[in-house]
Amino acid sequence: MTSAALACPLGLAASAVPGSGAELEREAERDAIAASKRGEREAFDVLVARYQRPIYRLCYRYVNNHDDANDLAQEAFLKAWRAISRFRGDSAFSTWLYRIAVNACLNFRAKRRPETREIDEALVDPRPGAEWHVEREDDAFRVRAAVSRLPDRQRATLILKLFHDLTHEEVAGILGSSVGTVKANLFHALANLRREMTGARETRS
Amino acid sequence: MTAHVSDDAVLDLALGAGTASRRGHAESCEACARRVREAASALELAQRAEVPEPSPFYWQALRHGVSQRIAHEGQETRRSAFLVPLAAAAAVLAVLFSVPALPVKGPLAPGLAAWSALPLEEEDEGLRVLEGLALSSGELAEWDRGEGLSAYLANLTDDESRVLAETLRKRGQGGES
Repeated sequence: MTSAALACPLGLAASAVPGSGAELEREAERDAIAASKRGEREAFDVLVARYQRPIYRLCYRYVNNHDDANDLAQEAFLKAWRAISRFRGDSAFSTWLYRIAVNACLNFRAKRRPETREIDEALVDPRPGAEWHVEREDDAFRVRAAVSRLPDRQRATLILKLFHDLTHEEVAGILGSSVGTVKANLFHALANLRREMTGARETRS
Repeated sequence: MTAHVSDDAVLDLALGAGTASRRGHAESCEACARRVREAASALELAQRAEVPEPSPFYWQALRHGVSQRIAHEGQETRRSAFLVPLAAAAAVLAVLFSVPALPVKGPLAPGLAAWSALPLEEEDEGLRVLEGLALSSGELAEWDRGEGLSAYLANLTDDESRVLAETLRKRGQGGES
């Protein structure tokens, strides 16, 4: 992984070539962060505009509905505003912001965990490999529902790793865990997801 | 034959990473190959969890919502910054001024409100009697038999009490004793 990608794991600045658009964006981001630290709300608006989409999508995958995702995204940005004076730049701003959003999601789940329910049997196609043949929209809904029922850490790992294209190291940094733990959580998340979706028993001991 | 690949290695292989030796093992070992296929299929499955794209206007609404909450919090902070020192000062003043009113042992200070079974001063006939006694103590000396006024009053018979009360009433009305 390049240092640029490490510095901005959300893929917002794929290149760090001096003078390039990405570099200018990063410079603009640094300026916005510095101004936000001075209490300039307009500067923070720039950061919100820049990260609103990935943060919202992260939250949506956690709670699987728009209203809660909206609340969580706003809460994450509000917490970021409160804490931005303490952001030292040791990690990328995006990593720092993701950590805030993930914590908001984890706390939200702890407070308002939705009723746990198994996937409707009628939605589970028992045929081997039949899960690949369902309609796209229905499929997305079912997968999101299954993801939202994963244990917190597994869900966080799966979402960050797969849907936001972060490295194991970046996910570990956000979740405050080791790379080994991230890999283990991801492995189990995938196994659980597959089991939920196929209704099959895990065969491997 | 090498040992089966670990869960981590299965994941790496499913993600298209992993070492050549592990990949070689997975290609020759049916059990490991199946685990890699399952992990890869789960990855593909997970990728289908697309998030519905909200209205284009939503992003503006989100920014507005964040901005509003920050502004509201700023107002609350400013209000707190004003009210907290004020409340602290009020608390200090309350403590300072409440010290004299703290309960103290001994007789109540005059003028302090206190519950009493006695009637109000202007309604207290007994007080008027005592005032009458005080005013006429010299004249009442003939009634005093050397036992002290309170002992004397306590020992009055009903008839004597009526006579005394009548005498005092007349004096209170300005009449002759």
